[in-house]
Amino acid sequence: MKTAIKKKWIPIIFFIGLISVTSCKTLLAPEYDKAIVESVTTNSQKTMSFLEKISDGTTKENYKEREKEYNELIGAYDALKLQAKARPIPNNVATKKINELLQAKNSSAISGDYPSAFAFQKISETLKRMKTEDKEKGIKPTAMQAFKGQIEIFLDQAITYESFLKR
Amino acid sequence: MNEEIVNIVKEIKDIATTILEKDIATVRGFSERQVEAIAKQTLIIQKGILNGDIDEGLKEFFLDGLEAMVLNFVNTLKGILSVTIEKIWNAIVDSLWKAIDSVI
Repeated sequence: MKTAIKKKWIPIIFFIGLISVTSCKTLLAPEYDKAIVESVTTNSQKTMSFLEKISDGTTKENYKEREKEYNELIGAYDALKLQAKARPIPNNVATKKINELLQAKNSSAISGDYPSAFAFQKISETLKRMKTEDKEKGIKPTAMQAFKGQIEIFLDQAITYESFLKR
Repeated sequence: MNEEIVNIVKEIKDIATTILEKDIATVRGFSERQVEAIAKQTLIIQKGILNGDIDEGLKEFFLDGLEAMVLNFVNTLKGILSVTIEKIWNAIVDSLWKAIDSVI
């Protein structure tokens, strides 16, 4: 009788133990960082107003007037890239299992990197290229539109991703 | 099926549906904005090459940029997907834990 009761409780105890272990909150993406979102909001406004000011193109003759703004914006996006990358990427059993399931269905794995950090890097590179062009030749109107478009697209990616991390 | 099981299944479905509906709206808005902006960017580059505003060096830079933005668009969607899966996972585990908690 005693043995039968023991046998009956073993799976229940095992099940409760299993749930206790797995019931911990799983983290599949980095933590939301309010400081990053605030910084990207401020810097995107500064960037947009700078781009609007020079939307008709530039000439190399008055490049010096813009040099400071270029440097400030490049510095801000480099800093944002570092901040975004400084958070640890969750690498746990759940991520591994989900990626295995996705790969079994011929789908690529869920992201193991920061799309926002990549976008910040690309914005910084775009501004650096703009600065060089401006200094050496000036920027023609259509090229300016393309620079602006490229920055806007990467900004949208970074802002959407970072905001979405707020669960 | 046992009534309790039916309730648990219904709760899991409701949790997943609520999270998915909200997140899909965000994803749809983002995707539409991105696809439209990338298409517009392609036309600007094309125009710039034709009118000479974009020289050979800049052309290469912008074409590399296009490739990078498409790649990162997909990676951003994957990143969003991870957050959605995480939210559903945690909400379901939470609900199951509460169901177990109520009987012990």
